[in-house]
Amino acid sequence: MPRDTLAELADEALVVLYANGDPDAARLLAKRLLPRVMGYAGRLLSDRAEAEDVAQEAMLRLWRVAPDWRPGEAKVSTWVYRVVSNLCTDRLRARQRRRAEALDDVAEPEDGKASVVAGMIEADRMAALDAALATLPERQREAVVLRHIEGLANPEIAEILQIGVEAVESLTARGKRALAAALSGQRAALGYEEAE
Amino acid sequence: MEDLDDLFATARSTAMQPSDALMARVLADAAAEQVRPVAKAVAPVRLGFWAGLAALFGGGGVLAGVGSAALAGLVLGFVQPVGLMNLTDVLAGTTVDTLELMPGVDALLAEE
Repeated sequence: MPRDTLAELADEALVVLYANGDPDAARLLAKRLLPRVMGYAGRLLSDRAEAEDVAQEAMLRLWRVAPDWRPGEAKVSTWVYRVVSNLCTDRLRARQRRRAEALDDVAEPEDGKASVVAGMIEADRMAALDAALATLPERQREAVVLRHIEGLANPEIAEILQIGVEAVESLTARGKRALAAALSGQRAALGYEEAE
Repeated sequence: MEDLDDLFATARSTAMQPSDALMARVLADAAAEQVRPVAKAVAPVRLGFWAGLAALFGGGGVLAGVGSAALAGLVLGFVQPVGLMNLTDVLAGTTVDTLELMPGVDALLAEE
């Protein structure tokens, strides 16, 4: 199928085309989905190498499920976000287990924050945000990232997290409050005090 | 909360982007997982002796037919049923006692 025609197709149609052997469908799907998948995984894991592994794995699962894709059941992006959420949860839990097992090697988060305070550049602000996000319970963190950073609507988040829309609203509200509280201690690090 | 929204906006604009190497790996996975009709061509099957022989004659059914005809010919030759002998007599016009299928070369020369 000509590329121009492909570019107008929905993700779902591209998955079907991919399953039917179209060589360009995978490239277009990856171009559309990979940046979103990578951004989401990167924000949840705060680690590029791990985020790349998760992104590759999520896309691999999409390629594998393509022949059995049932049109109309779920949006492709929703499905991929859900896979990324689950993969990240697994990795974060494994990380927690490793930390619990190697108590001597636990990095002191406060030390990290101290270095953040030293600089007022954007990367430090993002490091502070990541550190604050890491303090949230995993569902709250996922809901906040999906709502406020990925910019998804509540019904889609509900589908990704497989919970009700009201639960999403509650998670994002509580998550945002907890995030604000976690960040309030490091306002200097975020560069707001200088601006005031 | 406004600070937070500001942070979220920065986070959106500084999201991790996939590297070219990751894109290449993902596309390699896609190519490896993609089912191509051509790639799924059935590999030639090695036939056994009898299956090969049957295939040579155009299949087992044809071979069975040829075999049956050969067997029937042998039976008729040995048994020589009366009805069949009457038929051959009518066709030949006379009773054939001996039939020389390979006439001697001498006889052919003598006729010239």
